[in-house]
Amino acid sequence: MEQDMIRVENISMHFRLMNDRISSIKEMMTALARRKVKFKEFHALEDVSFTVNRGDVIGIIGHNGAGKSTLLKIISGIMKPSKGRIWRGANIVPMLELGSGFDYDLSGHENIYLNGAILGYSKEFLQSKYNEIVEYSELEPFIHTPLRNYSSGMLMRLAFSIATVVEPEILIVDEVLAVGDERFQEKSKKRMMELMSGGTTVLFVSHNIDQIREMCNRVVWLDHGKVRMIGAADEVCDAYREQFLEQ
Amino acid sequence: MNFSSKITLAFYGIIAYLLGITVYQVLRDPGAWSFVLLGVAVLICFWLVGSKLISKKKQTILSRIQATFHRFSFLIEQLVARDFKTKYKRSVLGVFWSFLNPLLMMAVQYFVFIRLMNLRNSIGSENPMLNYYAVYLLVGIIIFGGFNDCCNQALRSIVYNASLITKVYVPKIIYPTTKVFSAGINLALSILPLYIIALINGLVPNFSILVLPLGLLFILVFTIGMGYFLSATVVFFRDIEFLWGVFSTMWMYATPIIYDIGFLPNTIQKLMFFNPLYHYIDFVRYIVILRQVPTAEETLICAAFSLGMFVLGLTVFKKTEDKFIFYI
Repeated sequence: MEQDMIRVENISMHFRLMNDRISSIKEMMTALARRKVKFKEFHALEDVSFTVNRGDVIGIIGHNGAGKSTLLKIISGIMKPSKGRIWRGANIVPMLELGSGFDYDLSGHENIYLNGAILGYSKEFLQSKYNEIVEYSELEPFIHTPLRNYSSGMLMRLAFSIATVVEPEILIVDEVLAVGDERFQEKSKKRMMELMSGGTTVLFVSHNIDQIREMCNRVVWLDHGKVRMIGAADEVCDAYREQFLEQ
Repeated sequence: MNFSSKITLAFYGIIAYLLGITVYQVLRDPGAWSFVLLGVAVLICFWLVGSKLISKKKQTILSRIQATFHRFSFLIEQLVARDFKTKYKRSVLGVFWSFLNPLLMMAVQYFVFIRLMNLRNSIGSENPMLNYYAVYLLVGIIIFGGFNDCCNQALRSIVYNASLITKVYVPKIIYPTTKVFSAGINLALSILPLYIIALINGLVPNFSILVLPLGLLFILVFTIGMGYFLSATVVFFRDIEFLWGVFSTMWMYATPIIYDIGFLPNTIQKLMFFNPLYHYIDFVRYIVILRQVPTAEETLICAAFSLGMFVLGLTVFKKTEDKFIFYI
C-alpha cells in the first residue's frame, strides 16, 4: 500500500545576511541614506522537491551547510519556506528534540508533563506512558526532585526517555541521539533503531554513511541547497562516497 | 461533556451575560438608546463569529478557535501552570504574595502621599469616591500593576522562548497568550484583598458586583492585544524592551491612580479620554466604591478600546510571526 505522507514541492529557502555589521541606529540611518545597506542573499535551499511514501525511511546526506537541517525544520513546520509548498499527510510532525522547555525549578515529574505537552503529546497519552518514561530513564528515586539538582547525564536521560516514548506516524531525526554513560548510550541507540525500524515513516539526517546505508531505503543527497541525487540508498551512497574520495 | 462543547457553552454564556447587561442599561436609562444600539451591533458581530453565516472552508470562526484550543489546550494548561508554580516556588509565603503584594504597595503609597506629604486636600476634586481614598488607591494599583505585569511577561515571551521556537513547532501566539493568562490569574486573585479593604471601609457590595467580571474581561482583552503587539515588535527592535520600561512609568503617572482627574487642568482632563487605563480603572472604581453599574457610554468606550487593541495586536502578530525565526 503506497501512500504519500509528505510532498515537498519546489521548496526554496533564502536568508538575508546583512553585508556589514551595522551596530548603531546612527550608522543604520547614514547607510540607509546612502543606500549602502546591501543584503546578501543566501540560498539555503533551492527548488527542492521529493515525495515521501508511507513506510519510507529516507536518509538525507550532504556536506556541512548543505541545508539538511533547514529542510527538516521546514518539513516539521518550524520555518516557512520562501517559495514552494509542503504537504503533510499526518497532523503533527515532531522533530526529535531533547529537553525543549525543561523548567529547572520544577520536579522531574512535572517536567515530564511540561516537556511532553511541548512535544505535542496528549494528556491521556502521557498519563498512560508515565511509568514507562520513569522506568526507562532509571530516575525513579529522583523523580520528585527539582531539575536544577540533576546531573547533566540525568537530564539527558530524562529528556531522551520523554522524546522517544512516541509512536509517531512520521519521525524526523537530526542525527541519531545517544546520551548518558556508555551503558545508557547503547540502550538509547537501540531504542532509536527500534523506533526507526518499526514501520514508521522516517526522515533521517546523518553524517554516518554506513548507518544511512543500513537503515534507509531511499536517500536524498543535498549539495549547496540543491538536490544532487535522489534514489535507492546504495546507489546514492556509492556516488556520494566516490565524490568524497575524488576531493 | 467534551472540550469543544465547553468552549461553546462559555462562548454563549459570555454573549448571554453581555446581553443581560445591555438589557439592564436600556431599562435603567432609555436615553442611552443610541449607545445601546451600538452595543447590540457589537454583540451581533460577536454572534456572527459563532454562526455559519460568515465562515471559511465550511467552518465557523468559533469552531476553528475551538479546534486550535482543543489541540493545544493541554500545552496551554501546562504552560500556565508552570508560570504560576515557578513564580512563588521558592518563597515561604507562596501564593499568598498575590494577596499581600498589592496591599503592601497600597500601604506604602497611602503612607507617603497621605500621612507624609498630606496631599489629601490638594489631591483632587469633589469626587465622592475620594472619601474612600484607600480603596480608590488600591483599585488603581491593582489594575495598573496587573496590566503592567502582564505586559512585561508577554513582552519577553517570544524572545525568551527562542530556543523552543527554533526547535519545536507550536503556534507562536500561545506564548504571549499563556503569559497574559498566568499573570492575569494574579490580577484576579488580588480582587479578594480589594474587597476585604472595601468591607473594612464599610463598602458592602451590592448587585453591581455582577458587572465586575465584565470590567476584568475588558482589561484582559486589552492586555492580550497589548501583549501580542509588544511581543511581536520586540523581536525586531530589542530597544522596545527598555523603551517600554520608561513608557509604562510615564503611563502610570499619566493615569489617575494616586490623584484624581479633577486635579488636572481642563485640557489634560480632555486628553484623558484617550487613556484606556483611565477608563478601566474608573469602571472598576465605579462598581467597588459607588456600587453602581457604570453608564452605557462608559461601558462602550471600554469595549471599543479593548476590541481595538486586540485587533491591532493580533494583526501585527499574525503579519510578522513567520519572520520571528530569522531574528531570534
